[in-house]
Order: sequence, then C-alpha cells, then structure tokens
Amino acid sequence: MVIPGLLYTKDHEWVRLDGSIATIGITDHAQKMLGEVTFVELPAVGASFKKGQAISVVESSKAASDVYAPVEGRVIEINDQLLSRPELINQSCYEDGWICKMEVTDPSPGSGLMDARQYAKFLKEQ
Amino acid sequence: MKKDFTFEALARQPVGSLLYQEHIKRAASCPMAEFAGYIMPLWFSSISQEHKAVREAAGLFDCTHMGVLGVSGPDARPFLEAVVTNRVSDMEPGQARYSFILDACGSVLDDVIIYCRGPEEFVIVVNAANEGKLEAYLAGLLQDMWVIDPAEPELGLGLRPKIKDLRDPTIGPEGMVDIALQGPRSLEILEKLVDCNSLFLAQLRPFRFIDCSIQKIPCMVARTGYTGAKMGFELFVQPASASALWNLLLERCTAIGLVPCGLGARDSLRIEAGLPLYGHELAGPFRVNPFEAGYGWAVRLDKPFFIGKAAMSAAATKADMQVARLRVPGGKGIRPVRFNDAVLDSSGHCIGWISSCASVGQDQIGLAYVRSAQCRVGAAIGVYYLARGQAQGRQGRLQTVEIGQQLQPDLEGMILPRFAKF
Repeated sequence: MVIPGLLYTKDHEWVRLDGSIATIGITDHAQKMLGEVTFVELPAVGASFKKGQAISVVESSKAASDVYAPVEGRVIEINDQLLSRPELINQSCYEDGWICKMEVTDPSPGSGLMDARQYAKFLKEQ
Repeated sequence: MKKDFTFEALARQPVGSLLYQEHIKRAASCPMAEFAGYIMPLWFSSISQEHKAVREAAGLFDCTHMGVLGVSGPDARPFLEAVVTNRVSDMEPGQARYSFILDACGSVLDDVIIYCRGPEEFVIVVNAANEGKLEAYLAGLLQDMWVIDPAEPELGLGLRPKIKDLRDPTIGPEGMVDIALQGPRSLEILEKLVDCNSLFLAQLRPFRFIDCSIQKIPCMVARTGYTGAKMGFELFVQPASASALWNLLLERCTAIGLVPCGLGARDSLRIEAGLPLYGHELAGPFRVNPFEAGYGWAVRLDKPFFIGKAAMSAAATKADMQVARLRVPGGKGIRPVRFNDAVLDSSGHCIGWISSCASVGQDQIGLAYVRSAQCRVGAAIGVYYLARGQAQGRQGRLQTVEIGQQLQPDLEGMILPRFAKF
C-alpha cells in the first residue's frame, strides 16, 4: 500500500511535509518485510541529522533495519508510544506508527525523494 | 599423495525451492529470503502464529532444499561406518540415526540423519548449506583422494559404494525430497490420509520410518524432525509428487489446524527445543564440537575407526565450553537479542556469547556458547547487547566482548535445561 501525498525514499521511509515540519515513518512494504516489529529505537529530541544519516532502528525477531533521515533537520517530537507498542508500525505504518517529526533545515527537502506514483513503480521494479 | 580436504563453494544464482510456485500461489506477498542458494518463504502468516500452530496443532514445512543422498551397494555400510561418527554397523532397515561427518582433523563438516532402507541401502539427509561441500568430500573419498587419518596419511578407505543425489528430478522412482509435518496433531492428519493400516503409524517410534503412500502418493514416512515436537514426521516423496503432497495436506487438513510454515518458525522452534544449527551451535565462528553441542552420544569413540576420531578423543576429555539454552525477557518493546551478544554471569562477567535467539511468547529463548563452569540449570545470567550500528558504537556500546570482561547487563534471565520437548 502506497499513500498519495507523501514522499518516499529508496530505503522505504516516508515523509509528510507540512510547511517546515516533516513527519517520518517507514512504508507498508518495509513493515511487511520486517515482520512483527518488537522494538523501535527513537532519536533524541533536539538531535540534528543530515539527509541519509541513521535516525532510528526498527527491529523484528528476524531483522534490524536502520531508518535514515529522508531530509536534513532537527528532531522536535518523537512517537514514544512506539516504545511500549512497537506493533503500531505493523498496524498503522502511515498514521499511528509514525517515528518522529523534524524541523526541516533542508532548503529543498523534496529533492531526491519519490512521489507516490514513482515509489509504487519503484516497488514493482524491485 | 593424498590431500587434506578443502572446499570452495562456487557462487551460484539463487533458485526458488521446488515448491516456490505453490508458495507464490498461496501467499503472493509472503516475504522470501535466500537460504543456502534457495529462495524460501520466511513466513506465510507470521512467525509467532506458525510457531504456536506447531506447538498446539500442526505445521507443514518446505524442506525440499535439504540435501538427500543415496548410498548403496555392498560397500555402503562399511563406508558409512568409517565416514560418520555414530554407529552404522548395527542399523536395521526402518531405523534412522543422527550423526556427524568430520574431516580428518575433526572439524565438523555437517550433522546428518542416516536412514537405513536395506542391508546395503542408506539415505543421508544433509544441510542444504553443506550439500555441495559434502558431495565433493564423499566423491573424493570414493577415489581415496583425501587424508583420512593424520597419523597415517597414506591410508585410504578403498570402498566404492554408489552415491547418488536423490533430489535429481531425472532419477525416477527412488527420488526423494523432504516435506516436514510437525506438531501434536500430525499423527491424526496422517492417519486420515494414509493408504496403509494407520496402526503402523501410531506405533512408529521416534527415529523409525516406514514406506507407505498418502492418497496414492508413494512416501517414506519418518518420525524425525527439527522442531522439538514429540509427534512429528518427515515425508520423503519423489520430486515430481512434492507439490501434489504439499497441496493435498494443506487443502484437506486446515480444519485440524494445519498451517504452512516458513523458515522463521523453523528457526524459532528449533531454538526453543535446543536443537543445534550448523554454523551456530556446531562448527561456525565458535568452532563448536559435538561434545560441546551436547551430542557426545552420537560420537562413538568405541568404534575402531572413523574419520576425525583422534581429534574427537581429545575433544571428549576437554569440556571448558558448552552450548546452553537460556531465557531472557522478550515481547513488545524489548530489543531482540542477536548472534554474538555477550552472556554474563550474576556478577556481570562475560561467560560466553549468544549463538542463536528467537522470541517465543513473552520470552526470548537463546542458545549460547558459554563456559561450562558457569553453566548450571537455573543459574541467573545477563545479556549485554553489542552495538547494533556505528552510531551506537560511537556512543560507547562495545562491538565485541571477551570472556571475563565485566559489564552491566541489559537483560536478566536464567539458564534452562539444554533441551526441551513439546
């Protein structure tokens, strides 16, 4: 499942851009490949990340997957519900399973990211 | 001049398992992974649901990737007696036995199950990951190419059994691939579908097998498996019948609770039961020997000869490390324990390392390679997570831990009995 209106990375992160605020999570494809998520490591609020830096780790019993910052910015909020309910990533990866919000410092945050149509095509080609 | 056995695997393009098309049809989106050169399902529903089904009802496993070799002829029995660590000379038709195959230096090349089909006819089931290596090893032994005893480097077996790959689809009626049916309701499932007198099945003891047929599909039915289930079978069928048997069982037995299972549950079930996986609890980075793994009984030092015997005699008397089964908390919100994480004693000193771990309900059950002196059932232990990435390493989490190092545990748990049956 791919949601219109979001931007996507080749590493299967999604970003919802709302002015200078970016909400970040992993895609439906990523959560399916991981299986039952049992642990999420969240970034510290206030920490800054460059595009492509590891910002979080999502782990299932079979795999640990790094989540890379899809935009450059500073973490302003984390979804700490995931600490006790990591399964939200499986149940609702685009809504309740969001990972963190960043204040974007990137002048062109959308560059290099795919829109829903491009991402759906990218998944098909894989 | 004989040579020491060495083997270099050729890289080959992974191929779908024999049942790949059936898996795609059943669950188009089920995640697949490459395992020993085969593309296999990781799970069909979820690892935990499939694990539970095998403990409470039954599960069906695609094991068609497992190597199946036929060893036959007048030399078959003496050949195997010299090549494997367990005894073969007294095996009767219908009997199966777990064993190791070693090289002359005592390194474990594989752990196998030998099925005796007749006085001069045996089948060996080998790990998929080791099949190419074993085929090269056995082929070389047939030509007396390898050193088999370092004390007598010119010694050869001089035995010439016929060795065949029974998974070869062109081989005809003697062909065999493995499909495993495991769990408490597996007997009921087979009783419903076999063409022979089902009493034979009910009376079949562990490590025994019979030839029969399931809805006219000829089949060797063995009370063996890799899940720790007290009741479970491996069904050996001709490659051409594998899909038919797979579908028949799944279509006719859903009401009994039979589900298809992927590699994920296969791993979590064998870990919960304490069964070793080659490369983790046998050989591998820790170079675990059969005694340390808890299988000294399958190494018959009272046999006059087997390849690797001198090294095994030495290993039998030295027991400072061993494989242990342990439990730490698991479930939602607890970081999974992984290969190489450190195992600590109650004072925080490292006594060994995790070799495998799986989440089972609210627990994580791990297997670990630990110092025997600290390995008492019920003893309190801790686990320290190694750095999961470079960022954690920079924050001071260690990348490796040595025996004796003192650390703060991340999780606290205890040592369990070495094996469990379900």
